[in-house]
Amino acid sequence: MEVFVPMDEALTRALQRIEQSVSLEEQDWEALTAGSDLISVGLAADEARRRHHGDRVTFVQVVEVPLDNAEASDPIPEQAGEVRLVGRPETVSQTIKAVKALADWAGVVPVTGFALEDLLDLCGNKSEKLERLLQQLRQAGLAMVSRVAFDALGKPEPILAALRAGGMDVASLCVDSPSGATFREALLEVASWKRVGTVFRSLAPLARMDPDLPSTGYGDLRRVALARLLVDNIGSIQVDWARHGSKLSQVALTFGADDVDAVSAVASSDQGWRRSPREEILRNIAAAGLTAIRRNGGFEEVADEG
Amino acid sequence: MSVSSISDRVLAGTRLDRDEALELYLDCSTSQLGRLAGAVRARRHPAGLVTYIIDRNVNYTNVCIARCAFCAFYRPIGASDGYVLGFESIFQKIEETIAVGGVQLLLQGGHNPDLPLDWYEDLFVQIKTRYPDFKLHALSPPEILHLSRLSQQPVSVVVERLVAAGLDSVPGGGAEILVDSVRRRLNCESKATAEEWLSVMRQVHLSGLRSTATMMYGSVENPEDRVEHLCRLRELQDETGGFTAFITWSYQPPNTELSGVEATGIEYLRTLALSRIVLDNFDNLQASWVTQGGKVGQLSLAFGANDMGSVMIEENVVRAAGAEYCMDEAEIVRNIEDAGYVPKRRNMVYDILGDPLYRQQSIPRRTKLAVARRNGDAIAPVELSRYSARSQFGKQQRQAIDKP
Repeated sequence: MEVFVPMDEALTRALQRIEQSVSLEEQDWEALTAGSDLISVGLAADEARRRHHGDRVTFVQVVEVPLDNAEASDPIPEQAGEVRLVGRPETVSQTIKAVKALADWAGVVPVTGFALEDLLDLCGNKSEKLERLLQQLRQAGLAMVSRVAFDALGKPEPILAALRAGGMDVASLCVDSPSGATFREALLEVASWKRVGTVFRSLAPLARMDPDLPSTGYGDLRRVALARLLVDNIGSIQVDWARHGSKLSQVALTFGADDVDAVSAVASSDQGWRRSPREEILRNIAAAGLTAIRRNGGFEEVADEG
Repeated sequence: MSVSSISDRVLAGTRLDRDEALELYLDCSTSQLGRLAGAVRARRHPAGLVTYIIDRNVNYTNVCIARCAFCAFYRPIGASDGYVLGFESIFQKIEETIAVGGVQLLLQGGHNPDLPLDWYEDLFVQIKTRYPDFKLHALSPPEILHLSRLSQQPVSVVVERLVAAGLDSVPGGGAEILVDSVRRRLNCESKATAEEWLSVMRQVHLSGLRSTATMMYGSVENPEDRVEHLCRLRELQDETGGFTAFITWSYQPPNTELSGVEATGIEYLRTLALSRIVLDNFDNLQASWVTQGGKVGQLSLAFGANDMGSVMIEENVVRAAGAEYCMDEAEIVRNIEDAGYVPKRRNMVYDILGDPLYRQQSIPRRTKLAVARRNGDAIAPVELSRYSARSQFGKQQRQAIDKP
């Protein structure tokens, strides 16, 4: 059902140019990012999202394990779909040892971890060494690298080559910078990359939180919607449940996002009452009129035992 | 009737009946509902202004005999953490409010049987004597009804006496859902039935005061009840025209007897959008950033709200249920401008007072809302001994004040 409400001319033009895959001009960016008509941008993004994913929303429940304490002893939480190593690796041997220990603990639950830029740094910024390290991590049991920051990629070709040769994917390509100009540059750059959809499994467009100048609801939803509208070579647009909160993340699902990262696998009051175990995420997705699909850290659909 | 034809009626400015409103709420997509609400809002506010008020939300007592099942704020008579604010403490809060450009106090509290009507009258008179231009937006309908019962005076007389003492306007609290079967389940029917709440508001409007209206949704009611609530408010507004604004917020379950889970962000935006569409005789809808957080609070502007509510300065009731959001004037203004609107300060009756004040004078940034009283503050202020108490605890407390 389409409700006809006259839209701003400049915004209409900008959305038409996106639909026709015509390059955006300065006035189009202005219309897309500065006007008060957020809903029209969201509607266009929601239509694009439904073309790709219908009403499905995937989510993953994650157990985070610090790298310096990777020898977990408690049983793995029943709801965990991913075990994620967090922290900056100091040495290659420590990194591989940690992955092995966690893979033994996790069993069939995929183990992910690290920021790709930290691994590259560990390899002295040499893509050949990175390729070798990725192979070793794969053999140790790492299913996927957790994230890479767009800003850290520089020229992506050597890194993409290392990832492909190392047989490793990255779960989230993140645009961390809050700068609108950087975001715009990132979207255009990422959209131009060839054959990256199987290497970068999702695009996470929301900036890292800046406590001194928090992003706004409009700003966040515009980023999600524009990521959906302008990047069609990476299948999923992702929001982070823990970092951005259940309310904003839920609304983002109606503005183009289709994947929810970092849902807690542990229902603990220690994590604050607004954190989201299984019931909360299912309730939020249903309240958005969408269908929840549980996935694991390898982006594989997981049957829900209830 | 289809959603499409109901939408056409909304866009044509035709009033929706209960069935149409319900169908729209149940079947229209969230974005489309927002788009309709945005169109209605733009028709009523074409200049693209978004307003806010600098005032302080003070709760003079948390002692309450109503015992609403959804409330995390109240304390029973005799509770060790029950409090009544002293007059001096309230004066100090007013001075702090005036210092940051505040123009009024939103003063509400529990139904405390040990605070008789003359306590309120004396407080209001003293406030008006000290701060003649400062406004008192005070005492929701159930509080007025409580004072009527306590003093055994008709509501009209209580309102008259409060106005004579300095009451300027009445907040729309305590409405919850104006359906008695819901109020029974929330254990709030005894504080005021739906008809009693409306009848106090009618009396307030007839006495020449303006008020706001509210709805707390997401507890035990269903969508039909929400629509019924909105329609009852719309009917009273047709009759009196006394409401300046409507505010809706979600029930906050933590620390309450009722417990449960909070309604989601999308349910808030849908409820807000429906309110804008149904309440076609209300000029202003406020965003509830204090329950939804700054981000969804800002998104309210895309779903029918034209006002960011209050800077608040202090908040106690929602905080008791676990939500602690804070937006000072600079943050509210940043969010309004980021959404493409022009921010303006206002008063309770929505007169525009001017541009953002923090751009004209130095105002310290605030990252946390204040609370009613600090640890160590007196729970029983000395002036209480001048007023009669009804409870045994209150009487003993008075004696203890008299003979320290």
